Amino acid sequence: MTEAEKVFTDVPCTFCGCLCDDIEVEVNDGKIVGIKNGCAICKSRFLKHHENRLEHPSIMKDGEQSSVSLDEAVSKAVEIIASARRLLIYGLSSTENDAHREAYKIAELAGGVVDNTSSVCHGPTILGVQESGEAAGALAEVRNRADLVIYWGSNPLAAHPRHISRYTRVAGEYIKDPKKDRKIWLVDIRKSETARTVDKFIKLQPGTDLEVISSLRALLRGHRLAVDEVGGIPVSELQEAVDAMKNAKYGILFFGLGLTQSKGRFRNIDAAVRLIQDLNSYTKWNMMPMRGHYNVSGANKTSTWQTGYPYAVDFARGYPRYQPGEYTAVDLLARGEVDAMLNIAADPAAHFPKACLKTLSQIPIINIDPKENMTSRLATVNIPVAVAGIECDGAAVRMDGLPLYLHKIIDPPEGVLPDRDVLGMIYKKLEKEVKK
Amino acid sequence: MSRVGVKVTLTSGRTLLQGRTLEEGKLTDAYRDAVSYVELDGATLDALGIEPGSLVEVETIYGSVVVTAKKSRGEEPGIAFMPCGPYANTVTSDDTQETGMPSFKSIEAQVFKADASTISDIEKFVGGNP
Amino acid sequence: MSKDIILKNGIVYDPKNGIDGEVKDICISDGKIVEKVGEKAKVIDVKGKTVLPGGVDMHSHIVGSKLNFGRAMCPEAHRLEKPMMRTKKTRSGVTGIMFSSYTLGYRYSSMGYTTVIEPALPPMKALGTWEELEDIPNLNKALLPMFGNNMVTYHYVKEGDLSGLAGFISWILKATGGWGVKVVNPGGTYAWAYGKNIREPDTEIPQWGITPREVIRSLVMATESLGLPHVVHLHPNNLGRVGNIHTTIEELDAVKDIKGFKGRKQTIHLTHMSFETLDMVEEGKPEWKDVSSGGLAFAKYMNKNKHFTADLGQITFGPAMTMTGDGPFQFTLHQMTKTKWGNIPVDVELPGGAGIVPYNFEMKSPANSIQWTIPLEFALSVDDIWRVVMTTDHPNAGPFTKYPLVLSWLMSKKQRAIWLDKMHKFARERSTLEGIEREWTMYEATISTRAAPAKILGIDSRKGHLGIGADADVSVYSFNPLKTNLAENPDLIVQGFSESALTILSGEVVAKKGVVQKTPHGKVMTLDPQLNDDLAARVASEVEGMITRWYAHSFKNYPAPERYRAHLEERIPLDARSVTA
Repeated sequence: MTEAEKVFTDVPCTFCGCLCDDIEVEVNDGKIVGIKNGCAICKSRFLKHHENRLEHPSIMKDGEQSSVSLDEAVSKAVEIIASARRLLIYGLSSTENDAHREAYKIAELAGGVVDNTSSVCHGPTILGVQESGEAAGALAEVRNRADLVIYWGSNPLAAHPRHISRYTRVAGEYIKDPKKDRKIWLVDIRKSETARTVDKFIKLQPGTDLEVISSLRALLRGHRLAVDEVGGIPVSELQEAVDAMKNAKYGILFFGLGLTQSKGRFRNIDAAVRLIQDLNSYTKWNMMPMRGHYNVSGANKTSTWQTGYPYAVDFARGYPRYQPGEYTAVDLLARGEVDAMLNIAADPAAHFPKACLKTLSQIPIINIDPKENMTSRLATVNIPVAVAGIECDGAAVRMDGLPLYLHKIIDPPEGVLPDRDVLGMIYKKLEKEVKK
Repeated sequence: MSRVGVKVTLTSGRTLLQGRTLEEGKLTDAYRDAVSYVELDGATLDALGIEPGSLVEVETIYGSVVVTAKKSRGEEPGIAFMPCGPYANTVTSDDTQETGMPSFKSIEAQVFKADASTISDIEKFVGGNP
Repeated sequence: MSKDIILKNGIVYDPKNGIDGEVKDICISDGKIVEKVGEKAKVIDVKGKTVLPGGVDMHSHIVGSKLNFGRAMCPEAHRLEKPMMRTKKTRSGVTGIMFSSYTLGYRYSSMGYTTVIEPALPPMKALGTWEELEDIPNLNKALLPMFGNNMVTYHYVKEGDLSGLAGFISWILKATGGWGVKVVNPGGTYAWAYGKNIREPDTEIPQWGITPREVIRSLVMATESLGLPHVVHLHPNNLGRVGNIHTTIEELDAVKDIKGFKGRKQTIHLTHMSFETLDMVEEGKPEWKDVSSGGLAFAKYMNKNKHFTADLGQITFGPAMTMTGDGPFQFTLHQMTKTKWGNIPVDVELPGGAGIVPYNFEMKSPANSIQWTIPLEFALSVDDIWRVVMTTDHPNAGPFTKYPLVLSWLMSKKQRAIWLDKMHKFARERSTLEGIEREWTMYEATISTRAAPAKILGIDSRKGHLGIGADADVSVYSFNPLKTNLAENPDLIVQGFSESALTILSGEVVAKKGVVQKTPHGKVMTLDPQLNDDLAARVASEVEGMITRWYAHSFKNYPAPERYRAHLEERIPLDARSVTA
């Protein structure tokens, strides 16, 4: 193996919400040739970032994508946005913060809706937090102090491959031996690969999270349950769990989509928030959503400071309004309510239920993404962009709220700009169009 | 002709391979292979009279899709797992219960031995045809 | 370059220069106050109007993670008042108690404020804070990073290494773009990592064997050795507990002997005193039923002890959003109110341990009504207004939009009587407020909202006054204190301060009659301390070691990158080479 000409260190990986920032990227002749420290997905992201790219801006003509100049693509995008009566701007979680800010400007100017992918991942978490609050955790604190770690409805080995090795099965300042001084549990409906690495696996029946969490709360408060089991778990086992949670010095609940996407949705989170709050009367407990896209936390943050609301924001009246269930992407598409979509760094055609696809196939879509995907096949306009954190810099937010600076490692393909610049071009042109 | 189906609770979620291949490209064969299967337990496979690798049809009230059957590691009777992605989404619900979040988990489904000889052509769904 | 301006015939209050309601012209050129301008200058007639230096708010939570946490957790708080529509000049956004970023800048600006300080920056989140600062227009700003529950601080305190601590402060100020040293419930928030609190200055901090007293003293000594423009900004232990006036006085006493930099008299600033000077009735217990106002007692302490300054944190009524770096206090409040509770963790990593709890201050509540009297009693009993700053600890004790109301209480006995009638009877029985005759004059109000905060922040050479060479940050209000008896017309005070007739930021008219005209960024003031090379090198390597050991992200990614700062920043060098290695 030839030696790398240049090695970039301390690079944040822009795949999942862990934003591991210890990646070493080896570059030769303007190409990434090696990755150190990263997980399998990280390697794929960096080493294969150049594969399957959208090669040119294109416009759909007679069912075929035909290449156009960037200016033509931007003009077409502006034409679509300007003539839309109900525009949906969606995505954002896999790009950096400055791109979000440009997207909100467009949404405000066009009187559209802007939603990020949290509506289909941890949106219910946000709703649960809006019910009851949240004792939020931080990853260093967990590494240094947590003696009981619970993953609930989450499969970190698949979705956040280094979460366990970097933050929980690792020594910290006050946890010298991560195997002895810290216990890790998994609560899930199936014995995933993560189940084999933890100290204790608690299997619950699908859709019973709310009952199980509520039972834990009841037991914590000293109530007796008039049943023998809840969610397939014997009450005696739940009692043991509660006792261990109460006796922990510092506990942390990491929860995944198994909690937010299943029956009960935000009610599950509300219950979990309250369980953690109750536990704080005895000892220290915090919780943290296992955020999937590397910058979905950032999308919530930027949206919140600019508009007051974390997602599902409608500018139809000239100011931001918020209503999940109304202004969320799946609802708007399933109802057939939107007549144009600006999609940034997401693939709704692959990830939304079938009913949404019908609308997607009927409305003009402006798709902004580095790579081909299922949405790009449908889009009226495709504009390729640089991969944030590899081909352009930016800022993103880790799952615990830590902002991190993304590095530019190599140049993007010729003529390819960052999301923020493309969106900025659309905004400028749209502003002129609106003034006419 | 009546078909023999097995009732399961269908759930969808992330896998390492799905993550790796989507970073390569969403239109690659590798990605398609990573998301077009269903994991079933041994008893279910036996009841359907099929081996791992055979094609099965997963049906819910929202739709149906033909994918490859795999044997699950966990051996949990009654639970079927599909990687999240376009195949799983043809059988999940768009009902968000006014939360924005569709039903990606814990969906009642039936699994049949497939009549078809290939997995579903996802392009058709993307084309918007029900 | 903006056009020269002459503000003609206004009634000028400029306490720093001893001007108390004189009719005179103010000339502005190139962003500064100048002696005169040429004939081409734009003449703005402000006859019969009040001309003040632009408002300086030294303690308001306008940016950062806990504010965003509160915004996201409480969307219902954004529709208490009308949102702002997009216009050709301005962006849209929400209002209420927290505001979104753009509307926050606009509203402050339309009230005549030109400088606002965020007093609680978790240092490692500086990057996100700078991104957000970019979206707050129309204000000069600065940030105070928190040091009081930070393991690196504790390391140096424990070692008794004050030079190292000074070096660490300098390192953080550079890395984050900070202006001064904030301390919040030292040790108590750290103990919150295990669900505990520290209420007294001499209780040991878990795992460290040092005390809050040592932490406060060390940080004050290090700050004075560096000669930072702003003294240590203290939120003491035991906040929100009945009888805590004793803790507060003890902690202030603890630094009394420390010599100020170049002989400066004040070495510490006590923030939101309303929450920290709760007294109790005779033979009472430290319980809310026995609470009484410590406002007068604290004013007497201040009149005798000259080594500190204070801001009010005046309680207003109605919905508020409590958010402090005092995690354990916030949990107690949650247990009392049973409302939502958000918590941000404690660690080295996020030195803050903040809590967020929505709170509704009610006039009929015995406790709230007494809390209301405390800062008023204090502010009206203090000899030296130059050491007292009007704040509401936005949005904790109420949003900044309540400042006009607070001023009306301070400036009008009549107004206080009207409000006392609405309060629980304890407001009369357990404070001396009712009997206080004093009414702040326009001059005093100007000191407390302009000149004093500028002086305490160490920006008084340029801000908070209208002398030649000052930054041309000016606010004009449409009332005429020479003709109208404001004390007799408290509604005029409220109306008058709610909207400026004119706000000028760096020589540009940015708002007129409460409507934003222009949306410049303002500057973010930061400090750039220069240490001697030996100390800088030693601290850099020690801090790298500690951050690498204790944090879960890379040392190299700690500082807020230039690209997010440089265009907003006014970096002020500070020669601290005299601090020994």
